[in-house]
Amino acid sequence: MKRNVAIISVGYNGRFVSKRPDVNIPELIEPAVTNALGKTKLKPDDIQAYVVGNMHTFEGVNGPHLWASDHFNGSGKPVMRVATGGTTGASVFQAAYYHVASGMYDVVMAIGWEKQDEGDSQVGLVGIVLPEAFTLFQFGPEMNTERGGVGGLGGGGSTGGASYQAMSYLSRAHAGIEHIDRIAALMRSNAAKNPYAHLQQPGCTEADIAKTPIITYPLRFGHTCPTSCGAVAMILVSESKAKKFGLTDRVAWVKGLGSGTSDPTTGNFVEGQITDPAEQHMCKVVAKKVYTMAGIKDPTKEIQVAEVYSGFSHQDLMWPERLGLVKEGKSPEMLDKGAFAIGGEMPINPSGGVTSTNAIGASAMVRVSEAALQVMGLAEGGHQIPMKVENAVAHGWGGLFQFVTVTLVGRTPVKS
Amino acid sequence: MANETRIMESPWDLTTYSWKVEADALNLFVKGLKDKKILGRKCTKCGTVYVPGTSYCRKCLIDIDQVVEVRPEGTLDAFTVNVSDIRGNPVEHPFITCTVKFDGSESLVMGTLEGWQDWHDVREGMRIKVVFKDVTTGALADLAYFQLI
Ligand SMILES: [Zn+2]
Repeated sequence: MKRNVAIISVGYNGRFVSKRPDVNIPELIEPAVTNALGKTKLKPDDIQAYVVGNMHTFEGVNGPHLWASDHFNGSGKPVMRVATGGTTGASVFQAAYYHVASGMYDVVMAIGWEKQDEGDSQVGLVGIVLPEAFTLFQFGPEMNTERGGVGGLGGGGSTGGASYQAMSYLSRAHAGIEHIDRIAALMRSNAAKNPYAHLQQPGCTEADIAKTPIITYPLRFGHTCPTSCGAVAMILVSESKAKKFGLTDRVAWVKGLGSGTSDPTTGNFVEGQITDPAEQHMCKVVAKKVYTMAGIKDPTKEIQVAEVYSGFSHQDLMWPERLGLVKEGKSPEMLDKGAFAIGGEMPINPSGGVTSTNAIGASAMVRVSEAALQVMGLAEGGHQIPMKVENAVAHGWGGLFQFVTVTLVGRTPVKS
Repeated sequence: MANETRIMESPWDLTTYSWKVEADALNLFVKGLKDKKILGRKCTKCGTVYVPGTSYCRKCLIDIDQVVEVRPEGTLDAFTVNVSDIRGNPVEHPFITCTVKFDGSESLVMGTLEGWQDWHDVREGMRIKVVFKDVTTGALADLAYFQLI
């Protein structure tokens, strides 16, 4: 029998930025841990177990948890590291939840981070696609061409991969690149109201984004996420401990959660890709399961705000549809009427989202921490939505376009 | 904050290593290309046709070995307009890379799209046919490009 779990505190290391040459990984993490603890009456020794995570190999130091553990007081306690690509932060959070919900622990800390000024993210990414790419190379694709070739050898790196999904989404929603420009501008201007966000552009407009160069159509430079350094820490406690600490007021209850995977989409030549990258059927399946678990019948009415994981701006339109917050194909219309803005009827990423801040191993957890802060009413700097938040949904995305995580947090726990 | 923090520098050269992959699908595919044929595999249980033909059905999770030939025609699925080559150098003329679904098959094959004047007019769902190289060698490059019909 699972137990109710409350998020009682969220800590960031500070503002997320491109480069932190002044600190190493443990020093980057430590302020997030201290800030999370500082907002409670807990002492470091009260944390019984840690679940931590960042992207595998991106910093060039594999296994940073091995030598960072004693810096967050993990020595002598269980420390579990989780790495699931883009969904890492959400997987870390969900694993921490299971630690408490299972009855194994009462007080657990989840930590997600990335320090992308170290190592080489592109080498990390190449390491992920290398086995597939080298297999393909052995079967003689056209290499000396400026016009692609079988296997779709186009330019643009990961943006090139995402652009297929972007085009497919636009086709399905009967929308144009101007909608991607518009949502990208909204995210950057939202970020300006979040003191922790990386790319803050107050009053950023569609025209500002449209000035940035195309990488591979329909994706521009202004539609892509930055590489950020930053860390987030969250403290999760059991319902009995929350009561004991007198913490039942300003907390966010985990009401539902789930994850899922489909086949790797985009360029899966070796195994026979069968799924269009904009389909994202698993997102719909997982969201439905999570809403049932949380007792939510109509997500469009019962959920007030969403934090979705969008490495590329078209996804800020796509995910709200796949999460059932907006009817299929209706995001462009909702955006145009202002529904996705901080004061709108369904605010999407008041934090500015991943296209404004992307410390990869933290990103999917920041979706949960930001959703939790919205429920607690503690989002700083003007990005707290004006509506009272009963429920907020957090989404994570990763892998080769096919991993999804959904977490629902709310003001009142589900009756167990 | 440790003032004595040092920036360490080291190369990250990948050594040579080996691993096993399922090469069955691509072997069959390039064998077909040599004869200017598109070959795949069909699941006898659910009828799904895979091109390239995997050795198992993704839906039924059973081994499949029935080889089928599909017509070298199909529909355009997702695509992107490239303004740089794979090395990131700007190209003089934009080109389209795309995924297509051959008629009767359920999997997506990536390649280059030709036969358009203005890329703004290209839409998902358009019909395509395969153009093979004149001389084929049993390599992926034998499939030169997809031509809009
Ligand atoms: Zn089957």
